[in-house]
Amino acid sequence: MEDVQVVAMLVRRCIAGDAAAWEEIVQTYNRRIYNICYRFAGSSDDAQDLTQEVFIKMYRTLSSYDHIKGAFVTWVTTITRNLLVDHFRKTKQDRMTDSMDTTASEHEDAQPLSEQIPDPSAPPDTRVRQREVSETVHAALGKLSPELREAVILRDLQDMDYREIATVLRVPEGTVKSRINRGRAELARLLQRTYRQVM
Amino acid sequence: MPDQTSNGMKCNEFDSLLSDALDGVLSGAALDRFQAHARSCKACGPLLAEAEAGRSWLKDLTEVEPPANLVTNILASTTGVDSQRLRIAAPVRQPRISWLDRVQASVLEPIWAMVRQPRFAMSFGMAFFALSVGLTVAGVKPADLREVSLRPAAIRHAYYNTQARVIRYVDNVRAVYEVQAALRGIKRNVTPAEPGPAKPSKERKNDTSQQPEQKQERNYSQTGEQLILASAPLGPSFRDLPVVSVTTYRRFV
Repeated sequence: MEDVQVVAMLVRRCIAGDAAAWEEIVQTYNRRIYNICYRFAGSSDDAQDLTQEVFIKMYRTLSSYDHIKGAFVTWVTTITRNLLVDHFRKTKQDRMTDSMDTTASEHEDAQPLSEQIPDPSAPPDTRVRQREVSETVHAALGKLSPELREAVILRDLQDMDYREIATVLRVPEGTVKSRINRGRAELARLLQRTYRQVM
Repeated sequence: MPDQTSNGMKCNEFDSLLSDALDGVLSGAALDRFQAHARSCKACGPLLAEAEAGRSWLKDLTEVEPPANLVTNILASTTGVDSQRLRIAAPVRQPRISWLDRVQASVLEPIWAMVRQPRFAMSFGMAFFALSVGLTVAGVKPADLREVSLRPAAIRHAYYNTQARVIRYVDNVRAVYEVQAALRGIKRNVTPAEPGPAKPSKERKNDTSQQPEQKQERNYSQTGEQLILASAPLGPSFRDLPVVSVTTYRRFV
């Protein structure tokens, strides 16, 4: 995923005050971090704010990164995950009032989740249907508990291996696998329930 | 998850192998035992199906594109944070500025900035143009300026010379001359002859002030009223003009 020596050199240059090195790090990792934040937080605005916070924290603590202890991407993902958990705790009260009928994000068409399921009787355009399915899955992902959500995001959306996820989440690999399994199963149940309502 | 044993595999073991099975890394006897447990266990069978379906759903989620200004915002926020932090940690010593630079920065640069404005430049150009035209009409040549002596005596001499020339010029203006003459005529007609000064008393003889006695006290302007009549010569060009006679009192010093 990353050349350890190249990233270590980039980090050293960045600590020395090389602005170009820092820009290269931002260019390389902003997409990944934004996607994790977006899938976890659910909204584009929150994801944008959280991504900026992640990079600010990274910039402040860059000197604490040790390439011997682990890959830079794992370190970055750990920072991201910790900030996401903090964000979740802060907005916990808001989330308790959510339901499947609320709008999950501005990427959707401002309709309840059940109304976003396409009508099978009318065959829609493939691209539109694909987009709608993605939005439905995204909304369902937001309904998972944070422990399950972060596990499936890191595994199925970020393609991290179990050992890296265990490092990020600070839990054993077995727990990681268990959370991933339960997360996937819970997501499937949510989506089946949604489709059953539409059908 | 219930801890049941089915086909020699516990549900916990099944759960730990589920991820590997979905990833396709499970093979051989372990895979056979896993599939047998899934078929026989009422809890783990549906779990495998749901996990497989959930994984499939998640694969449909594609990466979203970050906002276009995200990188710019990140760089701005991190750069700002860093500079602020550095300023707090180690204040930068300001380089010493000489008084000449301060004057230049506080006085000359604002003036120069004002001068560079188009309207001021236009006004300056017009003023220069008017001055050069005025000097040209007055007959002032730049070459004459080189011969001007700047010694104090020469400057004083030039000043009095110029003053006398101006006075002569003004006095010789015909209109001024006529007005002055008319005023003097009116004054002479209106004002009677001035009485002479009181004669000094005889007590002067007893003056002990050691001042020399003034022997000659003739003041022709006060005692003798010698009128000198001045009249303009009647040249051919002045025949049609009224003759103005001017009477002046002259003081002989």
